[in-house]
Amino acid sequence: MELSHRLAAALGAAALALAGCAADGGTDGPIKVGSINGVTGQFQAPEVPKAVQAVFDEVNAAGGIGGRKIEFISKDDAMNPQRSTEAAVELIESEGVVALVGSSSAVDCGLNRAKYGSAGIVSIPAVGVDPACFTSPNIAPVNPGPYKLLTAALYFLSQTKKHEKVCAYLTVLPGSGDGIENAIKEWSTVTGKQLTVKETSVGTGDPTPYLVKAKEAGCAGIVYNSQVGPWFAQAKTQGMTAVDFAMLANSYTDANAQAIPEGLNVYSATEWQPYTDESLPGNDRWAKIVGAKGIPKTAFSQGAVMAADVFVQVLKGIQGPITRESVTKAFKEMKPVDYPMVGTPYVFGPGDAHNPVEGARFVKAENRAWRVLPEGFVIPGKG
Amino acid sequence: MLNSLIAGLTSGGVYALLGLCVVLTYRLVAVVNFAMAATGAVGAYVMVSLIGVGVHGALALAAGVVAGAALSALVGAILVRWFGEHSERTKAAVTVALYVAVMAIGLRVFGSATTGTRRFPAPLDGPAFVLGDVVVPVSTLVSLAFAALITAGVGLLFSRTLLGLRLQALSERPTTAQVVGIAVPRLAMAVWAVIGGLSTLVIVLVAPRLGGDFATLGNLITTALAVAMVGAFRSLPMTLAGGLILGLLEGVAVSLSGLQADRGVVPFLVILVLLWWRSRNEVWDTAHTR
Repeated sequence: MELSHRLAAALGAAALALAGCAADGGTDGPIKVGSINGVTGQFQAPEVPKAVQAVFDEVNAAGGIGGRKIEFISKDDAMNPQRSTEAAVELIESEGVVALVGSSSAVDCGLNRAKYGSAGIVSIPAVGVDPACFTSPNIAPVNPGPYKLLTAALYFLSQTKKHEKVCAYLTVLPGSGDGIENAIKEWSTVTGKQLTVKETSVGTGDPTPYLVKAKEAGCAGIVYNSQVGPWFAQAKTQGMTAVDFAMLANSYTDANAQAIPEGLNVYSATEWQPYTDESLPGNDRWAKIVGAKGIPKTAFSQGAVMAADVFVQVLKGIQGPITRESVTKAFKEMKPVDYPMVGTPYVFGPGDAHNPVEGARFVKAENRAWRVLPEGFVIPGKG
Repeated sequence: MLNSLIAGLTSGGVYALLGLCVVLTYRLVAVVNFAMAATGAVGAYVMVSLIGVGVHGALALAAGVVAGAALSALVGAILVRWFGEHSERTKAAVTVALYVAVMAIGLRVFGSATTGTRRFPAPLDGPAFVLGDVVVPVSTLVSLAFAALITAGVGLLFSRTLLGLRLQALSERPTTAQVVGIAVPRLAMAVWAVIGGLSTLVIVLVAPRLGGDFATLGNLITTALAVAMVGAFRSLPMTLAGGLILGLLEGVAVSLSGLQADRGVVPFLVILVLLWWRSRNEVWDTAHTR
């Protein structure tokens, strides 16, 4: 028994050493970068890896980084936990990637955070959704994420729109309850206001009972993050034309703009400069990069371009060989990067939890499209 | 509380319609069809896609119904041809497999919740009248009327017509029916096609209330099965009542803050209780016919 334990330990150490070789071996070959994306399955954003690749193609065409090309390896996990875990192991152990850039899987952060920690590798997701994306030492997404956005949406309704009675009708995914509570608390602290109605279990099914309850309670501003079609079709039926509805970034899609009936006041928070207006600061670069390759112009591809851009910028600042260790060190010690596509600068930093980007811009659904509101980024507590 | 009850009741009609589709299929072809809502969702999406490219609404609806009918006939063909002599359980399992296949292909073709949300035409969503704080739209009355029509119409079909008799024979003793000269495969296929068309109509009618994307619509099968269970897969009037009860329960669950978080669970708890209540007088080993 004792012997077999020792043997296992020895084998494990050997395997680790080999993996270490793979990770550090190539200081002259291509710089390998990985990502885990949902390309198929329930949560699909196939444009993310394509957009990251487009940025790296541009860098490679200009000679790479210190003469080394970037090799980008994206794994599709189809939101399947097992595939996600396998993808992380494969990227880190077999491929020996130096970092993960532009991940967009809904399950990656929660499942793989420990792996990233033990491998000493950083992940810069394009789109972080899972609360673990914002509470892990080695992960720092480029998007504000659902919690900062919720605070911003509440702030928008109570301060920008000046509503006294603000209500929240939310679908809370398992594990994100604390994040939601904290986001609401943050809003209360900044504004000194309390929610009139807080409903955190809006699911599928007929939304009419919720809407009727909101009418009864006199909700003038409602934050909502669930299914779009039926909610607004029935809000229209119930005659809620005077209410301001604010949704979170997951609802900011062309399809949803089409689905919202005319005559309602429906806003959506956006994490980056709204993608529907390419003239906004920072969007020109993104539109050029994805446009040239025929990649869909969505908020997800914005995140992908930003994650790749930030990564390249940090990489360029590294003195000496580019390895997993030097990349991780560079991110932990980096200076904030101003990126015009978001509300506040991006920084990774040394902490145990990272949610560097804050604030949201707002768009309004009008005539089956999203119109960008003239106010800039709404950053709670900062105007 | 009263408002919530009324609000819940307005969705009773659409829930009843979903349940009735399942019960109807079961009574006609003796299959618990897990692919029912997915089939209807394909038809409904064919319709909205056509409307999206400028086809007239009525024409698009007709095309959607035909598509739903064709897909359902395909499901029927698979079941009749390859699993005709198998047990109900096997047939149900086959429909589960087909449901998974239709959902996977449908998600690819019609998009997920983020990319595939569509506005379903709701010409009937204008207000009929106002009760308390609740605006009751015309569509609620239409759903209820449609559900009542199916309940009464199918009841009459079974009890009063030769076709009804043949359909019952087809459902209960397919082999015997064939022996006495009923063209079973052809009749079964026709029934599957009609069910597909009907499912499409029902999904189109419930979509403005219950779901605007393919996955949600296809997954309405869980709600449909729950409602069908109240009717024990047999009784159409009880299924109709089941839809109304489910709507009421949802209304109650929203109005009671303690129950809010468990809104999704309450209906199923009540269904369990109902099933227990219905079976309390039954004795083991008595012949359980459908």
